[in-house]
Amino acid sequence: MRRFVARILRKHPEGITIGLVVLISCGFAIITRGSWLSVGNLQALSQLTAVLAIIAFGEAIVIAIGEIDISVGSVSGIGALTFLGLAPMIGSGGAVIVTLACGMLIGAMNGVLVAIVGVPSLLVTLGSLFLFQGVGYVITSGFSFAATNTVRSQLIYKVVGGGEVGGINTAVIWALVILAVLQLIIFETPIGNRVLAIGGDTPSAFSRGVNVIRIKFGVFVVSGVLAAFAGVLDAAFIGYADGSFGATMELSAIASAVLGGCHLAGGRVSLIGTLFGAFILRGIQSFLIILGVQPQWYILVVGLLVVLGSLADRTLTRIALKK
Amino acid sequence: MTYEDNIRTKGTPDAKKPLISIKNVSLSYGNFQALTDVSVDFYQGELVGLVGDNGAGKTTLIRIISGIMPPTSGEVYFDGEKITKFHPKKAIDLGLECIQQTIGICDNLSVGRNYFLGREPTRRVFGLPLLDKKKIREESAKVVHDFGLRDTVDVDDEIALLSGGEKQTFKIARAVTFRNRVIIMDEPTNHLSVRERARVNDLAVQLKQQGLLVLYITHDIFQIHRIADRIVILENGRKVTDVPRDAMSAEVLEGIIRDGSRAPVKGTKPA
Repeated sequence: MRRFVARILRKHPEGITIGLVVLISCGFAIITRGSWLSVGNLQALSQLTAVLAIIAFGEAIVIAIGEIDISVGSVSGIGALTFLGLAPMIGSGGAVIVTLACGMLIGAMNGVLVAIVGVPSLLVTLGSLFLFQGVGYVITSGFSFAATNTVRSQLIYKVVGGGEVGGINTAVIWALVILAVLQLIIFETPIGNRVLAIGGDTPSAFSRGVNVIRIKFGVFVVSGVLAAFAGVLDAAFIGYADGSFGATMELSAIASAVLGGCHLAGGRVSLIGTLFGAFILRGIQSFLIILGVQPQWYILVVGLLVVLGSLADRTLTRIALKK
Repeated sequence: MTYEDNIRTKGTPDAKKPLISIKNVSLSYGNFQALTDVSVDFYQGELVGLVGDNGAGKTTLIRIISGIMPPTSGEVYFDGEKITKFHPKKAIDLGLECIQQTIGICDNLSVGRNYFLGREPTRRVFGLPLLDKKKIREESAKVVHDFGLRDTVDVDDEIALLSGGEKQTFKIARAVTFRNRVIIMDEPTNHLSVRERARVNDLAVQLKQQGLLVLYITHDIFQIHRIADRIVILENGRKVTDVPRDAMSAEVLEGIIRDGSRAPVKGTKPA
């Protein structure tokens, strides 16, 4: 029995997360007398989950190499503002491309400082978290950017989160596509094998000829691009954004990854688990809203989950690797 | 050229080019001088014992040779070509496999994924280079079981589930299977049983007979004296002895290692 549990934990770290999803879904549905499970709430929940999950996927692969990226919240904010700021001028398509390029640049900046200069990623990305939050406040100077009616009617705008297909927001489709692509890269390609190797044991990976600098750099770039894109998807859904857009998303992203079975020390990652982790967090959030609890409690809950998740992470890893 | 010719001719100048040539190599970590002005040549088809006490600089020297770190000064030549870029990938591409003492295995990866790390076989699926998992599984399983890992070892399992000795056997199996021109063994018999030790030593001799250069790093002068062609002794980061096996007995060499620290060490370079 213990061997069986250990095997499940090793091969399918998201198993526990999925169990949690079922548990809280039932619990929340009962407590809210079904309103949590209503079609309307699930639609809203799926959009919220998709945006958070895309940021969390980037976070998960950064965690996979044993680093952390806490700038993703403000990068998604910058993504939202760049997109909404530029769309009226150059159209939604152009605005998406420029936004992704911004995300890439910010990711590259983090990547250079971490992979080449060798500054701890916690410091680097803490710096860029505040740096780009500051940029967000400065460029909006207390106002918010909103999508004009022309912009809202553009097809690209609808494709990047501003529309829905069969009642499902397009962000959900994006999240699933990104999940599939990353899943393939991380678990089915040589690059993915090297990403996991770096997270497991960087000096050993290096000694086998793995280009550690290039892969670390690339992972931060991907994280930046995904965060910026998530900002676009959310901005297109909401239609406006102010300087605080994306604030505290980094904490939710880290919590999603941890709840999803990603090992904070690196080397073990579950993207499917991360998706369910994001769903749990958003589920708790909407549950608190339905209950009429002050929204500030959500941050408290997320913080608590990160702490408990890290604790469980250690314990479960120990069980999984017991000989 | 046979192996005996090799041994005979290598003493005479210009008779044969060294495969690896270390010239005046020094390396310091901050204030600590790990290697000082070391020059040594290694030839194809020989088994060299690199011996010395803890902190003598053995591991540092092989880390330079295997591209993990560049020397602070001095030059390294491989097959007559000067090495300008130090990276493990470069060393592996040149045909050098290293069994490192403390690194070389990622505990979180499966046995098969560790086996092929850095040189993963791929197959094209719709033009995408995906891992050839079947090949990874089959080839690594064959090799690790040929090397005597227990049958219950599943190459899809994390390598963390193996014991210390099994991990060491795995590293040796991997280096030997991908062997090319040089095999470096850093304390290869650590964690191994007496019988396994004998097997590793036999293997080192076989590899040499196949024409490879084998660098064997160890503390144990008596063990290496039985199998090496040449013994190089490092002491406090300097080369103190470099002799053919027959020139000195193991006892004399042991005396050099033991008393080496009492020999006057020339003024260490200030930082």
